Parts: sequence; structure tokens; C-alpha cells
Amino acid sequence: MNRKSRRNTVKKEIWLIFLGVFFVVFFLIFMNNFFKSVWERSGIEEAEETQTYDYQYAMIVDSGNEELWQAVYGSAKEQAEKYRVNVELMVSSKADGYDENDYMEISIASGVDGIILEYNGEEDLKDEINKAVEQKIPVVTVMNDAQDSKRQSFVGVNDYQLGQAYGQQVVKLMDENTRNILILLNSEEGDLEKNQIYSLISSAVKNTPGGKEIQVTARNMTTGSKFDIEEAMRQIFQDPQGPPQILVCMDETTTECAYQTMIDFNMVGDVKIIGYYLSDAIREAVQKGLIPVTFSLDAVQMGKDTVEALWEYKQEGRVNSYYNVDLNFITEDTALSSDSEGRYENENS
Amino acid sequence: MKMKTVKRKRWEDIPLARKVLIAVGIITLLLFLIDSLLYFQVNRIIEKMDTVYSSNVNMTEISEALDEVQDDLYSYLSVKSSESLEDYYRSEQAYRNLLGRLNYKITSNPAKLLERKIRKMSNTYLKVTEEAVTAKRGRNVEKYKNLYEETQNLYGYINSYIEELNSQQFRNNSSSYQTLREALTYLEISSLVIMIVMMGISIAILYLFTKEMIVPLTNLAETANLVGQGNFSVKMPETDSLDEVGIVTRAFNTMVESLEEYIIRTKESMEKEQQMMERELLMENHLKEAQLRFLQSQINPHFLFNSLNAGAQLAMMEDAEKTCVFVEKMADFFRYNVKKGMGDASLAEEVEAVENYIYILNVRFAGDIHFTKEIDQGIMECRVPSMILQPIVENAVNHGIRNIEREGKIHLEIREEEEKIVICVRDNGKGMSRERIEEVLSGHAGNGEEQSDSTGIGMNNVISRLELFYDRKGLMQIYSGGLDQGTEVVLTIPKITGGEEACTE
Repeated sequence: MNRKSRRNTVKKEIWLIFLGVFFVVFFLIFMNNFFKSVWERSGIEEAEETQTYDYQYAMIVDSGNEELWQAVYGSAKEQAEKYRVNVELMVSSKADGYDENDYMEISIASGVDGIILEYNGEEDLKDEINKAVEQKIPVVTVMNDAQDSKRQSFVGVNDYQLGQAYGQQVVKLMDENTRNILILLNSEEGDLEKNQIYSLISSAVKNTPGGKEIQVTARNMTTGSKFDIEEAMRQIFQDPQGPPQILVCMDETTTECAYQTMIDFNMVGDVKIIGYYLSDAIREAVQKGLIPVTFSLDAVQMGKDTVEALWEYKQEGRVNSYYNVDLNFITEDTALSSDSEGRYENENS
Repeated sequence: MKMKTVKRKRWEDIPLARKVLIAVGIITLLLFLIDSLLYFQVNRIIEKMDTVYSSNVNMTEISEALDEVQDDLYSYLSVKSSESLEDYYRSEQAYRNLLGRLNYKITSNPAKLLERKIRKMSNTYLKVTEEAVTAKRGRNVEKYKNLYEETQNLYGYINSYIEELNSQQFRNNSSSYQTLREALTYLEISSLVIMIVMMGISIAILYLFTKEMIVPLTNLAETANLVGQGNFSVKMPETDSLDEVGIVTRAFNTMVESLEEYIIRTKESMEKEQQMMERELLMENHLKEAQLRFLQSQINPHFLFNSLNAGAQLAMMEDAEKTCVFVEKMADFFRYNVKKGMGDASLAEEVEAVENYIYILNVRFAGDIHFTKEIDQGIMECRVPSMILQPIVENAVNHGIRNIEREGKIHLEIREEEEKIVICVRDNGKGMSRERIEEVLSGHAGNGEEQSDSTGIGMNNVISRLELFYDRKGLMQIYSGGLDQGTEVVLTIPKITGGEEACTE
């Protein structure tokens, strides 16, 4: 062998050794990455990966408006991250069968740093609110206000504003055929005649020409689960005197139920539904023109404001008692330009 | 390794044993690395697998402890025995200890968050139970009943959360276990692949290493074979490596070089020697030839004329038989002289020549010479150089018995003695001094005064020719007792029988 070819052999050997070392290193890196992903998937290493927070907020809501609350929760969580606060969503009457009262109890017992509550109108719940506040846990109601409680703040549309807006929409939809208007409330309050939304809609109807002959009734839809609502809806449509010409829904589930029942009974055009919030199903219906109008809240702002309110209270010791949230009405025309989280570029009312 | 110590020590300079050691070492190291990596990962997986379901066990323990607290609380509240109180405190302490294991931090991990919730709720729960116990002690019936209700609520909440956590963990753990099993399978496959790859690389490295070591050796063997067949022009390529192969290669090259040189030198010197020998031989031949011719040409023609004159006179005076014989003998002698001038002859011919010569002399000097001979007839056919006896006899006549008062005698004796022929010519003449004998034998005697009455061949000639013919010295001995004591010339020559092939010509 001459020196050149010998040198080549030595070179080859060195390359081979390098190749071997490369394989070892590659194997090492591959193994490392592979097992890292394995640990991640297996959840064993999760504790090391997860973020830790300084405070814990509980968000207790009713299951009626799932998509809205998911949107609100998402926004609240995002905002809370900035303050190193974790927000936990607790949806009543779901899975474990706990209602708002139970969740209030649980939250108080587990010593959260703040509670965001969708008040359902029950008097007992006010006691829970008061109990929490007494134990130095600030409570912010959202969407529906518990006016006589010790809650620190309220985020949402007040009933007056809401009643006025609904009144306007109802009046817009009225025509010569309109004889019955049914308002499906989701309040636990016993006396519906005292409900501000109902009275505002009612007075708006009465104040229009010929409105005096139109019957405006209200009905409470908060009793029980989704199936109860569906049953109630069938009753409404199967009423011997016929269904109402205008149906005002006050939550997501009711809207979807009403829409579905209307299609089932083939009463599109006969019954005009005023929807609540913009779930995917509702959006679709609006886009098709089957639901003439639905309204929505700025869920992002709402979520943000709840956290802001709690945080401000924590920092300052006091807080605005009312955070207003924008109301949006969505018709066939505007439904196309809105996105799924209920944010709207145009037409704030 | 080469790359590390390029300047100081190159790869080629490392001894073979160390090279093999390095190669095997590198391979072993690589394999060891891979192997230990595999073991590390396998161990890790097994360790993880061990811990997978331990969290579920934990949760069950906590749940049982909680049950115990609630039961003990109930039995104390209903019985109020010190024993049940003790039980309550014991179970409460046990529960607290278990709670200590639960997560306390707020994290984004739902399971951890649940743990925290359970822990905090349990703390609240324990506070309420404590209050209930105190109320029971204080016999505050209303209060402890309410508190007990509250504990029942909390107990329910906690239990349901424990269950939730348990099921969540079980879900996680099952999937973890599944993932780990899969990982183990992947590990098996990947380790198999990497092992095969490494084996391939190792074999390749070893192959190259051994090839690098063996190829020069096989080349060396081939080259050595060529050299063995006499081809000295082949050579191993130059190398400067300091390992054994390099050393052997250089040594081999040096060997081939010096071998070639040595053979050339030997060849040259042999040729030179050969040439010298040839020249010597040629020279010797020429010399001998020249000497022979020269010696033979020394025969004096005067003698022939004198003899012929004598014959003529005899013939003129008597015109008789004797003349005839005489002339005949003369003719024989003369013929023999001419014929055998340049070769060898048999002893018989030599003796005849001597007899003829004596006859001629006796005719010339009227029978003065008394010639006797004693001859072993068995060796008469032996070959000797021609014309050696006659000069010796002539010498005995001319320098021995001529001019003496008494009757001159010459005795010729030829005998065989130990495979040699001994020829003695004895006379009773004047004898020779020791100095004279030495002069004659050393060839310096010379025929100073030219003897007109001689055949021309002196003792010198005879000695020289004998030496040339037999290629040895000391063949002739001369003995003499001193003045008037006679002389004896003894020739001791090797016995050569057979034909002409023995002759020097």
C-alpha cells in the first residue's frame, strides 16, 4: 500500500469513527427529545412544565350560555394570566350535579381569592355571596346582578339597558299579525311582573300604535336542564291558541331550543325569534335569516372586566360597582362580518 | 489519536499492538456509550412506570382517611366518649399528614389544582369539625348540629373532588402507562437499529484497521517472493511510518538494496578472476609452447653432419655391412629425433634412441663406451616426454667418461617403484662436485661453452621439459661421490600408461 492510499484508509477510519460518534450523539439527542415528548404525553413531567400562579379565582356560571361563557372565560383567563392569577370555570348543574350554591360553598371552603358569579336571581345565592364577602373573598357578579347583596361589583348590561334594547328590537319586528309576544326569562325571581326587562319590553310594545291589543307575557325558563326547556318549548308551540308571533329568548340554550322547535313545527316566518348571544347554531340561523335578530355581549370585554374588577379590589380595596358591557344586535347582514367569539367590528348599539 | 497529536505523533507511528488496542477501544467505547444510554433510558422508563399508579394509591388513602375522620366525628358527637375523641384526634392527625403530600401551589395543571382544592377544602373541613367538637364539649347543641351538617356538606364536596381527581389521575396514568409501554417498544426498535448500525460501523472500522496493517505485509511477502526469484529491481514503496510495518518495510528495502549490491560486486570480482585465470592459462600455454619450440630448436645440426661424415667415411673405406648398420642407426636416431621433437614417446622408444646414440658413439670412438642396461620390460610402454634419456646419457658421456684413462661405463636402469618410474643413468666418470650438481639442478649450469659435439639438448632443457610436462619440480636427482667417483642421475616420474591422450600437447 502506498502512502496516499494508506492516508486515505486512515481518513476513512477517522470518518467512520466520526460517523459512530455522530450516531451516538444523534441517538442521545433523539432519545432525549423522544423521551421528553413521551414524558410530556404521559403527563408525568407536567408538574415541572406547568405555570404557577399567585392567586386563584373561581368563575361560577349557569350552563345556559355555554359558548358565551367559554368566550368570557377565555378572555378572563387571558387577562388573569397577566396578574399571575388562575381562573377556574365552574359550570352549574353539569356532571357532578352541583349548582351555584354548591360551587359558592366549595369556593369559599377552598379559600379562593375571588369569585366571579353569574347571579341567577335566587335569594339563597345572595346569602352565599354575603358569606364569601364576610370571609374576605371578593365577589363580582356578571351578566345578572345581585343588587341587594354585598358583592363588590357587577359586570354586564344592566336590566334597564337590556330591557330598552329588547323593547326596540321587538317593536321593529312587530307587524299587523302580531298578537302575542312571549318573553322567556331566565331569572329565579318569583314575581315576573316586577322584572325590569319584562316591564320595559312590555311598555315599549304598549307605547307603539296599536300596541295596546298585543299581549305581552313572560315565562321563566331557569327550572332545570336542557331537556326541560325543550319540553317547555314544545308546549309553547303546541298551545291551543297558537304560538306567539314574537319569541324573546334570554339565553343561549333557550334560543337554540326555540329555533329547533320552530323548524320542527314548520313555523318559520310565523314565529319571530329574538335570540340571545351568538353560538355557532344561532349564527347559522341568523345567516340563513331564520332568526331575524340576536343580540350579543362583548364577551371579551366582559371577561376582562371581571378580572379587572377583582384585581382592582384586591389592589385598591374598593372598586367600581358597575362595569358596563357593550351590547350588539346581530341581523342577517351583520352576522357575516362577526367572528365566533362575539366580537364585532361594527354596529355597537 | 492522530487528529489530536498530529505534530508529535502520527497515526502511522503507533505500534501495531497499540493500533489494534485503539481500534478495539474506540469500538468498545462507542458500543458502551450506546449501551449505557439504552440502559439509562430503560431504567428511567421502568422507574416512571413504577410511579404511574402510586398517585391513585395516594388518593385512595386520603379518601379512606377522610372517611375515618367523618366517622370518628360522628361517633364522638353521638357518644361523646373520650375514646371516640381520641379516635377522632388520631384520624384527624393522620388525615392532616396525608394532606401534606398534596399540592399547595396554584398551577395550570388541572390535577394539581384539584389537589390544592382538596387540600384547602379539607383544611376548612377540619376547622369546622374542630369547631363542632368544641361546640359538643360546650354542649351547644344547636351549634354542633349545624356544624355537623356543614361538615357533611364539605365531606361530600371533598369526596366528590377526590373521586374526580382519582378518576382524572387514573385516566392520566392509564394513558401514561400506555405511552410508556409504547415508548418501551420504540426504544427496543430504535436500540436494535442503532445497535445494528454501530455493529456495521465497528466492523468497517476493524476491517479498515486490519486491512491497513495486513496489506503492507502481504505486499511485503509478494515482493519478497519476487526478490526470491532473483528480481532485485522491485522494492517496497518508501514509507516514513515508525510502526512495525514501516520498520520491516525499510529493513526489507535496505536488505534488497544491499543484496543487489553484493551480488553485483561478487559477479564483478568473479568475472575479473575468470579473466585473470584465462589470461594466465593462455600465457602459460604460450610460454610452454615457446619453450618447447625453443628447446627443440636447440638441437645442434653439427652433430648430424659429423655423424653423416663418419658414416660416409666408413662407407668409402669399407663399403661393407657395418657401414650399412651404422647409417641405419644414424637414420633411426635422426628420424626419432625429428619425429619426437615435439611430443612424448614410450620408454622403449627412448631406450632405443639411447642405444642408437651409444652405437653411434661407439662407432665414432671405436667402442670406448661400455653401455649396460637393466630394464623392467613391464613398463616399457609407459609414456614420457621424448628426448630426455638421450641428453642425460650424452651428458654422462661428454662430462663423465670422456677423457678418462680407464674404461668408461654407462649403466641404464629403469624400474617401477610405488607406481612411479625410476630411471637411473650411472657412469664411472669424473664425478661432480656438490656445487656443480646444484648448478645443474637449478638450471643455471648453462651450456656455457657450446659443445660442438652434442645433440644440442642440455640438462637444462631436460629438467625444464620434465617440469612442464608433469607440472611439478624435483623430478631429477643427481648423486655423485666426488671427483672420479662417477655420477648417477635419477629421474623419478609418475607412471603414465596408455595412448596419446596423456600427452601434454
